[in-house]
Amino acid sequence: MKNLLLMAGLACLVGITGCNGNGDGGSGAGGTTGGAAEQDEFGPIKTGSVGEDEKPTVSFVTNGIASFWVVAEAGANKAAEDVNADVLVKMPAEGVADQKRILEDLLTQGVDGVAVSAIDPSGQQDILNEVGENTIFITHDSDSPFTNRCAYIGMDNYDAGRMAGKLVKEAIPDGGEVMIFVGRLEQLNAKLRRQGVIDELLDREPDSSRYDEPGKPVEGEKYTILDTRTDGFDFAKAKAEAQDAINKYPDLKCMVGLFAYNPPLMLEAVKEAGKTDDIEIVAFDEEDGTLQGIVDGHIHGTVVQNPYEYGYQSVKMLAELARGDSSSVPEDRFMNIPARQIRKDNVIEFWTELNQLLGKEPPEGAAETSKKEGE
Amino acid sequence: MKKLLGILGLFIVVFGFTAVQNPKFISAYNMENLLNWTGLFGILGVGAAFVIITGGIDLSIGSVVGLVGCLLPLFIMDHGVPVPLAILSVMLIAALIGLTHGLLITKLNLQPFVVTLCGLLIYRGVARFITADQTMGFGNTHGDLRKLATGKLAIPGLTEATKFDLPIPFLILFILMVVGAIFLDKTIWGRYLLALGRNEQAARYSGIKTDRLTIMSYVICSTLAGFGGIMFMLDLNSVQPSSHGSFYELYAIAAAVLGGCSLRGGEGSIIGVVIGMAVLRLLYNASNLLGIPTQLEFTIIGAVILAGAIVDEVAKRLVHRMRQAKQQR
Repeated sequence: MKNLLLMAGLACLVGITGCNGNGDGGSGAGGTTGGAAEQDEFGPIKTGSVGEDEKPTVSFVTNGIASFWVVAEAGANKAAEDVNADVLVKMPAEGVADQKRILEDLLTQGVDGVAVSAIDPSGQQDILNEVGENTIFITHDSDSPFTNRCAYIGMDNYDAGRMAGKLVKEAIPDGGEVMIFVGRLEQLNAKLRRQGVIDELLDREPDSSRYDEPGKPVEGEKYTILDTRTDGFDFAKAKAEAQDAINKYPDLKCMVGLFAYNPPLMLEAVKEAGKTDDIEIVAFDEEDGTLQGIVDGHIHGTVVQNPYEYGYQSVKMLAELARGDSSSVPEDRFMNIPARQIRKDNVIEFWTELNQLLGKEPPEGAAETSKKEGE
Repeated sequence: MKKLLGILGLFIVVFGFTAVQNPKFISAYNMENLLNWTGLFGILGVGAAFVIITGGIDLSIGSVVGLVGCLLPLFIMDHGVPVPLAILSVMLIAALIGLTHGLLITKLNLQPFVVTLCGLLIYRGVARFITADQTMGFGNTHGDLRKLATGKLAIPGLTEATKFDLPIPFLILFILMVVGAIFLDKTIWGRYLLALGRNEQAARYSGIKTDRLTIMSYVICSTLAGFGGIMFMLDLNSVQPSSHGSFYELYAIAAAVLGGCSLRGGEGSIIGVVIGMAVLRLLYNASNLLGIPTQLEFTIIGAVILAGAIVDEVAKRLVHRMRQAKQQR
C-alpha cells in the first residue's frame, strides 16, 4: 500500500513537471495548436490558432460503448452546432488497446483538440501525454490528473459515491450487510465511487485518497461492506456475481451497482431469488432497467451523471481553446457537472427528459405503471 | 468412456471440496443457478463439439450469440415482428451463417480458422451497426417469452424444505445432449462424422460425402450458437451489442476439449462436453463461494483445469504401463 502511494506521488510529480515542459514545447509547436500558452499555477493552457470563421475539428473519445455515451454524443453534436465546429465521436469497443489506437489515429489526422475519458488513468499516461503534446487535450467523465491535460469536465466521483451511500442509508436505515458490484476497479471513477459509498456508510470524514482494499469486509457501526465483486463487463458474469452474493450471504440487506449495467442484472438476480422485499438496490446511471426498477419500487434510487453536459461542455471548451479563448477553463481546471439522485418521486420526469435527448418515445411502461399505481 | 472419467473426477473433486468448505454451495438456489448457467453455455458447447469432431473450429460463436441477441429484440420491439416469426428468422439467419462457413471451407478450401475468425469480426460489426450501439432488451415486456430461459420446472414430490426447480435451459441442454449423443454414437451419420474427423481422405475414399457432412457440422454449430444467443438474450434481457457474447466461443471450445474432444478431430462425446461446461461454470461459482479474490479467479480456474489435465494424462500413462507389464508376463 505504501509503495502504491509512493508511486502515485512520483507519478504526480512527473505529471506536473511533464505538463510544464510540454507547455513550453507546445507554445513553439507548429500546426493548429501552435498558439499562445497561458501560465498559471497549474501550468499553461494550450490554445490553438483556428480563425473565428474557420471550423475546428475536435474529437470526443469515450471509454467504451454504452447508451450513456449515446446521450453524451447528442450533447457533443449539439455543441458542435452551437459553436460551429466539427466533432468526431469515437467509442472504443475493446478497452485500453482500442482507445490507444483511436487516439493515435486522431493525432495522425491532426485534429484541433481531443476530450478523452481515460479507461486506466495511470496506465495510459504515455499515450495521454502524447495527445497533450500534439494537440489540445482535456479529460471528461474519468480524469487522468497526472497527465498534461488542460482541464477535466465531469463529476466528482467521490461525492457521487457518497450520494449513493446516502441512498443506502435511506434504503436500510437500521443498517446491515452491503455488497458492491462493478465492472472493473482499475478505473479511477470506480475506485472513487466505491470509496465514497464506503466512507459515507462508515460516517468518515471526506477524504477521496483513502482506499480500503477490496476482498476484505469493511465494518462500521451499523453497516458492513462485505465485498466488492468485479465482472470485467461480462453481463452473464455480472448476474452470476449477484446470484452468488445472494446465496452466500443470507443476511444481505443492500446491493450497490457502480456501473450502469450492474443494477438491472442485480435486480434480475434478486427477483429470481424472490428477495425483492429483503434486498434493497442502489444504482448508478440510468439504464432503462434501473429506471423501471425505481418505478416498480424494486430499486431504491440511482445516482445519475449528466453525460449530455459532458459531451456539450467538452466540445464547447475544445472549440473555444482551438480558437485561442481559454476563458471557459476554470481556475482549478475542474468543471464540475454535479450528479443527481433519482428516486421514485422524480424518476418519471427524469426518464421522459432522457428519452427526449435520445430521440426515443417517452417511457411507455413507466407511464402505465404510474397510472396503475395512481388508480 | 474412459475419457469421461477424468473430467467427471475433476467435477466431483471440485464439487465435493466446495460443498465441504461452504455448505451454502449445495443450497437449492445455488444449484439452480449453476444448472442454469451450465444449460446456457452448454448449448454453445454442444454446437462447438460437432465442428471440433470434424477437425474444424468455429471462432464466431460469441459473435453469433451477440448478433442474434441484438436481432431478436430489434425485430420484436422495434419492428413489431410476431414472436414466433422473429425467433424463426433469427434461427434461420444463424443457420445461414453456418451454411456460409461450411461452403467456404469445403468448396473454396479456406481454413476454418480464417473463415470463422472473419465471421467473428463481421457479425460483431453488423450487430453494433444495426443497433447503433444501443443496449437492447425487452424492458418489462415479454415476460412469458423470457420464461423460456428464466423459467423453472418444479420437480414433483418435493416438500417446501427440499424444493428444487429445474431451470429450463438445463432441461433443453439435457434434451440436446441425449439427441446429440444418439446422433453421434448410434446413427450412421454420426459415425461418418467421427470417421471424417479422424482421416478425411480415407473417409472420402470409402464413399462418405465428406463435404456435405462438414457443412452440416458448421450449420449445427451456428444454429446452436443462434439458439444459445436467444436464450442468453432472454435470460439477461440486456444486450450490449459490442460485448454481448464476447469470448463465449472460447468457453465452448474449452468445454468441448475438456470433455474429451480432440482439436485434431475424430474424437469426442457430447456428454463429455456437457460435463466439461459444468466444470467450467462450477469453477466460477466455487471461486466466488470460497472467497477467492475476484482478481485471482482466472488464475484459479486455469490452474485447476491444468492440474486436472496433468493428473488425467499421468493416470492414463500409468494404466497403459501396467497393462503392458501384464501382457509381457
